[in-house]
Amino acid sequence: MEKILRELDEAAKKRPVQLKEAKKQGKKVIQYTGNFIPAEMIYAAGAEPYLMCRGGEPEPPEAVLEYMLRFMNPLARSMAGYHLMGLDPVTPISDLIVTQQTDCHVGRVTELLEFLKLPVHKVGVPPDWKKEFTFEYYYKSLNKLKRRIEELTGNEIAGENFKKYIGYTNRINRALRKIDALRKKDNPPLGEYEFIRLNHYSFLCEPQFAAEKLEELYEKLRDAPGKFLSDAPRILIAGRALAIGDYIVPKLIEEEYGAVIVTEMLDEGIRPFKWELETEGDLLRNYAETMYLKKTPPNIFQPAWEERFAFMKELIRDYRVDGVLWYQLCFDEIYDMECTCLTKWLGEMDLPLLKLETSYEYSREAMGPLKTRIESFLDSIKGRK
Amino acid sequence: MAKNIYEEFLELCAFEPEEITEILPQWIKAADHFGLTEEDIRFAAEEWIPSHWDIQYQGIRKMIGAYIRELIELSKAREYKEKGAKIVYGIIPAIITSYRAMKYSGGDQVFVSFPDALLVTVLNSFFHKANPYLECAEEHGFTYGCRHCALNKTRIAARWENVIPAPDVIWSWGFNCDEGPKTDEYIQCLFDKDWRYVISRLPHDTNFGEADDELDDRVEFVAMEIKDGLKQIEEITGIKITEEHMKKALEDSNRYAFKNGMLVSLMSKADPVPLGGSDIVHFQQPLGIPFNTGLKYLEEAIDLTIKEVRAAIKEGKGVVPKGAPKVAFYGVPVAVPWVDRMFRENGVAPTVSFNLSPSRKMLTPLRHSEPYMATAEQWLRMPMGMNMRSEADTMIQKIKDNKPDAVIMGFFDFDRWLGAQQKMAAKICEEETGVPHYYIEGDWWEDRDYSPEALRTRIESISQILKLKKLSQA
Repeated sequence: MEKILRELDEAAKKRPVQLKEAKKQGKKVIQYTGNFIPAEMIYAAGAEPYLMCRGGEPEPPEAVLEYMLRFMNPLARSMAGYHLMGLDPVTPISDLIVTQQTDCHVGRVTELLEFLKLPVHKVGVPPDWKKEFTFEYYYKSLNKLKRRIEELTGNEIAGENFKKYIGYTNRINRALRKIDALRKKDNPPLGEYEFIRLNHYSFLCEPQFAAEKLEELYEKLRDAPGKFLSDAPRILIAGRALAIGDYIVPKLIEEEYGAVIVTEMLDEGIRPFKWELETEGDLLRNYAETMYLKKTPPNIFQPAWEERFAFMKELIRDYRVDGVLWYQLCFDEIYDMECTCLTKWLGEMDLPLLKLETSYEYSREAMGPLKTRIESFLDSIKGRK
Repeated sequence: MAKNIYEEFLELCAFEPEEITEILPQWIKAADHFGLTEEDIRFAAEEWIPSHWDIQYQGIRKMIGAYIRELIELSKAREYKEKGAKIVYGIIPAIITSYRAMKYSGGDQVFVSFPDALLVTVLNSFFHKANPYLECAEEHGFTYGCRHCALNKTRIAARWENVIPAPDVIWSWGFNCDEGPKTDEYIQCLFDKDWRYVISRLPHDTNFGEADDELDDRVEFVAMEIKDGLKQIEEITGIKITEEHMKKALEDSNRYAFKNGMLVSLMSKADPVPLGGSDIVHFQQPLGIPFNTGLKYLEEAIDLTIKEVRAAIKEGKGVVPKGAPKVAFYGVPVAVPWVDRMFRENGVAPTVSFNLSPSRKMLTPLRHSEPYMATAEQWLRMPMGMNMRSEADTMIQKIKDNKPDAVIMGFFDFDRWLGAQQKMAAKICEEETGVPHYYIEGDWWEDRDYSPEALRTRIESISQILKLKKLSQA
């Protein structure tokens, strides 16, 4: 596993350099945020997509404060923060930055990107998702994006090419599903620290390569021994995102405290790998339906929380979860509200919940209280077991 | 019999002597219902209101009275419900024409209110006592540390404490912020299954500088949201709204908005400035908050205020000395009236609020005549309905029209939409107009985190700079 992870890691690290090279050869570089934007369509137009979901460091969110309210979540602020600090190798060479407009945090930080004169395209995702015309709005918005990408690249997004990349996505998702299923074992061969990075690498690496490596990894892991103690507490992690680079908490839980995060309910920075994309008919509509109507609604959709909790209960049952870790970005007000509801509902199930808020501040001083809280949470679970 | 403080309070609010006898018991009951003690009423009547509101004008007293009437009305919501009236709530910012139209359709059989906005406004503006509501929500999971909005906290607490009944339906407007509509899901999930809501949302997906109201598919989408919301509300309440009702409601809104425009214009052109900026906001708020008591009392108040302000201008009377610098605000914090007072004490006059003043475009004819499309178009012309660059353009135009010596941004730190863009907008406006902009982190609705002690130095230094600048220009 380590070897494949290293290969994927190296490929992901090389990606910005490859993008620079590709750009020199006339290719367009298109950054995008989140699962409501089909990277497959960008590939199909002959452009190079790159996921914008970096976080886990405290300085970039601080860097935007000259322009932005401080009560925005640190992941959204990082979108512009890395660029302002000169630490983002991709944004300056991007021909387009496509952002999904799901909430105010992303909305206003996207405006900061526009203010900084970066080329932005917004995709509207109405949160009141139970209405026919709101789905059509999102679908139309994707069609506008399609036209914009075609204009930018000069290439028509042909069905076959689009289908090819949808095919890669399905291969990646199938491999992730199989790897994910291994986490249902009594003693899983991998934890969240590996699983979330696999997701991130699958976004950052070229898709065929990612699919092959994930399939290879599954073959290696399927009969591999577990890497945790047999009675390790089994945790579900939930929240907005574990961003690319934001690995301290899962690493701490799994490597220092011997617990295992067996499943997750995250809205960004992870593939919706449990859902297969249809490859026949109107591919863009299929994509839109899967993301907007079929997969578990993100926290911002309304209504969503009862449905999300029903999904969480399935995860708790299927992965035999002992406790839930609510990993919340600080000042992320809608997640904060959902957490209160979850506290009540999980309390009724007598399942422990730990709410951790992060501002991406992981200094030595900040780590002390963080470790204490995690340790007490895990101790209480161990006591119950 | 000696007058009690409740009676004195009503007199302060310019209630007519003959109606005080009738309304006094209702007022005592309402005050108690919302947690106002006799001491709170005394504090308001003897200290808070005389210190912070321009009660030298009868019109301002009547304006406060109109809010008090509406508070009394809200205290009777449960009675209305028991008598079979349909209770329809909403949240700001909203398109309120439809609420007035509902009143035209349903009369006393429908009760409309934006309870949180009314409660915070009245309790903090006139009594400085919204904190128990805010703390109640925080104690029940709406955490203090996350910088949630005071309005949503108040809505949660008012229902939790059972001071307002569950509505037949609340129209949960989410054209701007996320937290407002999500609060209704929160209430429903957490403690009140009867809290039924209808939701209308709009993604923030127009590009920098695009005119939102000129994008036909956007106007069409907003129109569909309004139509869908109204249809659901009609189904739930049985209240049918006709085009005639909408037309009458629109006429009311336009008439009242026109009077507001007159008052703002009088104030921003006068020297010395005759009235406080927060007084003006109190008149403007009912453009976005429907009163179940209608516009009658507010119109009486604004008509009288206009008349009195004209007389004050003629006599050269003002609330600051002649020649004092004028500042425009993104929004003068209406429920934190000491901000206005502190500027005035430092010789600077807060005047116009950009967020509530109509842009020039709003006063021009609409492209669409179909009522839903026209309403949608009008919404998208409102500064807060636009993308940031377009909103900044409306601010630039207002700066040119009103010629303030500076602009104060901020006081929306709890709002991830209306607060988040202000530093960028300030840079744009300052660059294009040359008028200095100052950002003050604060809260429009409450002052627990931003007390007078915390903001005094900032306000004093801004005022000092502006006065020196004015002197050097002279």
